[in-house]
Amino acid sequence: MKTPPGFLCRLARACAGLAFAAPAVAADPAGIEFFEKQIRPLLASRCLECHAAEHKIKAGLRLDHPAGWLVGGDSGPAVLPGRPDESPLIKAIRYTKLEFEAMPPRSALPREEVALLEEWVRRGAPAPDEAAPVPGAAPARRAMTVEEGRRFWSFVPPVSAPVPAPAAAGWARTDLDRFIAARWPEKDLAPAPDADPAALLRRASFDLLGLPPTPEQTAAFVRDPGPAAFARQVDAMLASPQFGERWGRRWLDVARFAESSGGGRTLLFKDAWRYRDYVIDAVNRDLPFDAFIREQLAGDLLPAADPAERARRLTATAFLALGPTNYEEQNKDQLRMDIIDEQLDTLGKAFLGMTLSCARCHDHKFDPVTLRDYYGLAGILRGTHTLHNYTDNVARWVDTALPLPPEEERAVAEHEARVAALEKKAARLRAAARAPAVKNPRHVALAELPGLVLDEGQARVVGAWKSSRTTPGYVGEGYLTDENEGKGAKTISFTPALPHSGRYEVRLAYTSAANRASNVPVTILHADGEATVTVNQRTAPPSGERLLSLGQFRFEKDGQGYVLISNEGTDGFVIVDALQLLPLDARGEGSAAPVARADPAAEERAAELRRVEAELKQLAASGPRRPLAMSVREAAGEIGDTEIRVRGIARNLGPKVPRGFLAVADRGETPRFRPDESGRRELADWIADPGNPLTARVTVNRVWAWLLGEGLVRTVDNFGTTGDAPTHPELLDHLALRFTANGWSVKALVREIMLSRVYQLSSVPPPGAAERDPANRLLSHARRRRLEAEEIRDALLLAAGRLDPALGGPNFGTTPPTSEYGFVFADLRRGVYTPAFRNRRPDLFEAFDFADINAPLARRHTTTVAPQALFLLNHPFVIEQARHAAGRLARETPDAQDDERFAHACRIILGRSPRPSELALARDFLAGVPAGEPSAAAWAQVVQALFASADFRYLE
Amino acid sequence: MNPPFPLSRRQALSRVACGFGFLALAGLAAQTTARAANPLAARPGHHRPRAKRVIFLFMGGGVSHLDSFDYKPALYANDGRMLEFLDQRAIAKTGAGATGRVMKPLWEFRQRGQSGRWVSELFPHLARHADDYCVVRSMHTEGVAHGPATLFLHTGATNQLRPSMGSWVTYGLGAESENLPAFVSLSPTLANGGPRNYGSGFLPAVFQGTALGRSGQKAAEAAFRHVRHPDLPASAQLRQFELIRALNGEQLRARPGDRELEALAHSYELAWRLQTHAPDALDLSRESPATLALYGIGQEPTDDYGRQCLMARRLAEAGVRYIQVNYSDNTNNPAWDQHSNMPKHLDHAVRVDKPVAGLLADLKARGLLEDTIVWWGSEFGRTPYAERNGTGRDHNPTGFSVLLAGGGFKPGFAYGETDEFGHFAVENKVHMHDLHATILHQLGLNHEQLTFRHDGRDYRLTDVHGRVVHDLLA
Repeated sequence: MKTPPGFLCRLARACAGLAFAAPAVAADPAGIEFFEKQIRPLLASRCLECHAAEHKIKAGLRLDHPAGWLVGGDSGPAVLPGRPDESPLIKAIRYTKLEFEAMPPRSALPREEVALLEEWVRRGAPAPDEAAPVPGAAPARRAMTVEEGRRFWSFVPPVSAPVPAPAAAGWARTDLDRFIAARWPEKDLAPAPDADPAALLRRASFDLLGLPPTPEQTAAFVRDPGPAAFARQVDAMLASPQFGERWGRRWLDVARFAESSGGGRTLLFKDAWRYRDYVIDAVNRDLPFDAFIREQLAGDLLPAADPAERARRLTATAFLALGPTNYEEQNKDQLRMDIIDEQLDTLGKAFLGMTLSCARCHDHKFDPVTLRDYYGLAGILRGTHTLHNYTDNVARWVDTALPLPPEEERAVAEHEARVAALEKKAARLRAAARAPAVKNPRHVALAELPGLVLDEGQARVVGAWKSSRTTPGYVGEGYLTDENEGKGAKTISFTPALPHSGRYEVRLAYTSAANRASNVPVTILHADGEATVTVNQRTAPPSGERLLSLGQFRFEKDGQGYVLISNEGTDGFVIVDALQLLPLDARGEGSAAPVARADPAAEERAAELRRVEAELKQLAASGPRRPLAMSVREAAGEIGDTEIRVRGIARNLGPKVPRGFLAVADRGETPRFRPDESGRRELADWIADPGNPLTARVTVNRVWAWLLGEGLVRTVDNFGTTGDAPTHPELLDHLALRFTANGWSVKALVREIMLSRVYQLSSVPPPGAAERDPANRLLSHARRRRLEAEEIRDALLLAAGRLDPALGGPNFGTTPPTSEYGFVFADLRRGVYTPAFRNRRPDLFEAFDFADINAPLARRHTTTVAPQALFLLNHPFVIEQARHAAGRLARETPDAQDDERFAHACRIILGRSPRPSELALARDFLAGVPAGEPSAAAWAQVVQALFASADFRYLE
Repeated sequence: MNPPFPLSRRQALSRVACGFGFLALAGLAAQTTARAANPLAARPGHHRPRAKRVIFLFMGGGVSHLDSFDYKPALYANDGRMLEFLDQRAIAKTGAGATGRVMKPLWEFRQRGQSGRWVSELFPHLARHADDYCVVRSMHTEGVAHGPATLFLHTGATNQLRPSMGSWVTYGLGAESENLPAFVSLSPTLANGGPRNYGSGFLPAVFQGTALGRSGQKAAEAAFRHVRHPDLPASAQLRQFELIRALNGEQLRARPGDRELEALAHSYELAWRLQTHAPDALDLSRESPATLALYGIGQEPTDDYGRQCLMARRLAEAGVRYIQVNYSDNTNNPAWDQHSNMPKHLDHAVRVDKPVAGLLADLKARGLLEDTIVWWGSEFGRTPYAERNGTGRDHNPTGFSVLLAGGGFKPGFAYGETDEFGHFAVENKVHMHDLHATILHQLGLNHEQLTFRHDGRDYRLTDVHGRVVHDLLA
């Protein structure tokens, strides 16, 4: 519900009603007659279908009564008597779509009718004084009030319940088991048997590490199973860095972590990987979850003990920054509110299990979340900058330089100074190289300039421009001047036919003089957007250069790029002489040097330039780099409360509301905000407070769902009234209270659940369970689950012996690609390090339901569809891993019989020994291999068949 | 909440569709039939359909309606004059309009066919078919830039994650063919939303579109992906397939009656059928020379788009329900985006004009046009005034034209009006949501009932908007 939809917005209407008292209506008889004859019929035929008490009252606006248009609807008064140009009603019927939807929606009014209504408003909108209107139809369905909401289960603080003593007391191992077992008698259920040890270990290993156990590990555990041995296994897994990779990935789904913005023009988030590594590290360190919340929402505002901690906390705020932002949205007010909405949506679902964005346009339809709550929260984020600025055509996020330890800081500073000095030198050399040998002081021939040069004759000319050669120093055949006339009606555009796509430096030639314009707008449409540069033609280009650099831009070969010079609003003669594009990519900046000419000094300079450039390149590759992180920052000067946006429309401002949180989950006093801060710190404190009824419950429920397959509240992201009620409310509260009492330790919580007997049940339903509890809500058996995309990928690579165990670090390679399209996914580290693009993902991730990372997600879809089968049958990645795995089998079982080798393959891939029937199938297959086919090829086919089998894809 | 689909009943059992896999959900249902294991099984819509399938010819970048199908004499009378216009880009940025130089059409308009519809010389072949399609001249949409507007065209939203129209149709009606996907996008662009334009959004992945080829690649190379083992001969792969089938059979035997594992076995059978049949559907070597010539195949510059159009017809015949044929490229400023050089429109027009006309003629001759909706159009139109340099037109989401042929749309009919300059749709306006609703209606789907529960509410293609434009229907 992010787009402002056509819902009534009761609160805004109430506010409007308070703000504008209806003035008295002039009782001029001629005016009344005009109204009755001309206006009333017009309103009746054109407007009342949607704006009258007897039909419907769209946008809260009634046009069947003077008070209706004077008090107005959601957007305030519709008619301002005497001021047609300011009256929303007139603006809407003029069909301009400026601030208001064009009305009537289907067809514009004939001009005469528009004129009549304008005339009527100009005359003061006369109308007979009629009795006050009956209020609009009473709202049919009303959401819960805040008071009612406070009695709803999820807004009531958790209470400690006594641990039940179930009949099956001997069965239970932990308190969790007692809570679960106590409910079985309701459906006359007995628990399933304990899982087979090999199946249990495979389940635990994928659940905690995302990887299968080794055959040796399985063999040892099968020899010596039991609770104590299992606890040792769990502890070892919790201590492994791979736990952070697996559980970090889970949080990354919730945080809709991505490395590109997605949407239309998808931009790469080159530093997002730091946030990914931050999350993995936080999980591995078992950073208390409340601290984890505070760092992600307000890490930049928290004190830090040292540069490393400061860097970590800055990095954590990428949580707020890496949403699917539409950076090319042209309405920047809208963009700003869209970003805030996305942030509220994410943090609401991630921490509170609430769909806050439903309250952007109107009070929440179902939950006790009001428009006031929403804009109270929005005010906090409005005081925060997520974009570099709010004016760029294609916006940019905030990059923050990360602090370094003192010795590294020194090294970086030295490096930067060295680079700066060299760059200065290179610039000097380049300038010298570009300054053409002065053969003719009056003009420069095109051929003397490097790169692609377009003379004014190759430009598209609009309006009257005069050709001139009066001022010397021009390029090619003279230049054009607008003669300081016809401002705003003359343009010149260059559409260069570029030899290849890439970055170019764009340079403009003009002849400078005192009568020139100082403010010539030059627009460059390039592959990444549009830039406008203002050129002062009264001054010459700097340091003896003949052309002025307008900047460096990327262009696409055969793209639509152009450079346009306009004389709009200029204060003197506008001159256009020539345009030069110097290629910067691939061939290196050196190509900016002119084609070699028999000039020893120039050649020497070119050689020196090449040396300097090589040194710079080497420095860039080897030198210390100042790390940047995606982050947010405080919006200095914009700290404070913000206005309600009426009907969610960014420019439609209602009354201001004080910053605050969710009234329904708030039991304390009115929040106090530090006067000089956005309020994110207070917001984080409020969310991470043990007294918040939602946060701990939402978190423990999610952990439960990750381990048991379903949450105690099944709608893990929705603890509101449209979500499910908990199946075991006492257990949920028990876990939540223990979680906060244990210092918000996620590892302790995971351990407690893993060691329960409930976790360790077999997935075969016990007798009667399928009939009496088909959805297994009472957890009489374990839930089988399909491996997730990364698990399948990593397990294939592990079986092939090719999984790279390296932890963390960047993943785009040394030269970041310009786009996610065309990126080759070749990283052999764990799947968590595969670039998480929003518009494009590896085939395997696509086929096996990788998270949709456009919105926070605690549960992935799991599908079973034909493209997955096709992937496993035919994809080169699968075939390649099967071949490697076959090679590994041959190496590890050099002298083995087929049966023994097949058994080894099953232990690696399925985590168990083969059944006799499976052995027989493999034997038959191998026996039927045509004579002459190499055994390696046959074994690769067998391995691939195991990859394609149900028991590989599923955890029992 | 009433999708024409078993999901509704299951969702009534449990309001958890948002976080669940389709089959996990299906697993909750008490009823088990082999059919239910296939979420793509064909099913009836909400009402009797007038059309069975859609071929959408997407013109990426924004064709100028003013130079093609929306004849505006005022543009000639005012050519070159500087006038105030409510430029949408300027409004989005500044809240106010801007001055623009009126630019007359670059191609001559004439009345065509018995219907006397105005079509310009830009599309001479389509001009000859003026009596076969309906022109909606009062389109308007959301999004000023390509990315948002392209996503809006395909998904009904400018930036939020939503299922694409083809996915909604597949969700509503299932697949007509057991051997082919229900929704195919030929040579889709990677830019401006890329795969999201044929993605299933929050609908189960089984409803997503299948991309054949991609923009920038020759249409002749477009193929179903992963339907051939890169080097195993067919006989050897059959042997391997038998092993997989048998292994899965053994593993299923340990879990009798398990629906999820049954679905897994089913997915292999379907995959095998796809692998066997799909390549034929794209094989143009079976077409007669006359047919190839009709589409301009074997000639330049029509060969590439001609192949795509002919593949679309073959896919339509083979039972694919929603076929998108893309004319675009992979840049952020796609093919038809002539900001600075309107004459370049002609380069694009000659590539698509004959193939599209050929497709209409071929469908008509085969009787397929009766129940096939052919939709030709862009994400938006272009402005009546030149962009500052006087030779290009900027984006115009407030008024533009689309063509609709077959499938029960009135042929030789023009609907709606833009203002005298062709800038804003003013009469009988048709919003993109309305067009979506109308096309769904022709397919037998009610756009208000075709919903999916996600994030705690029911979503639809048309959000809370859209109306069926009955005036367009024969």
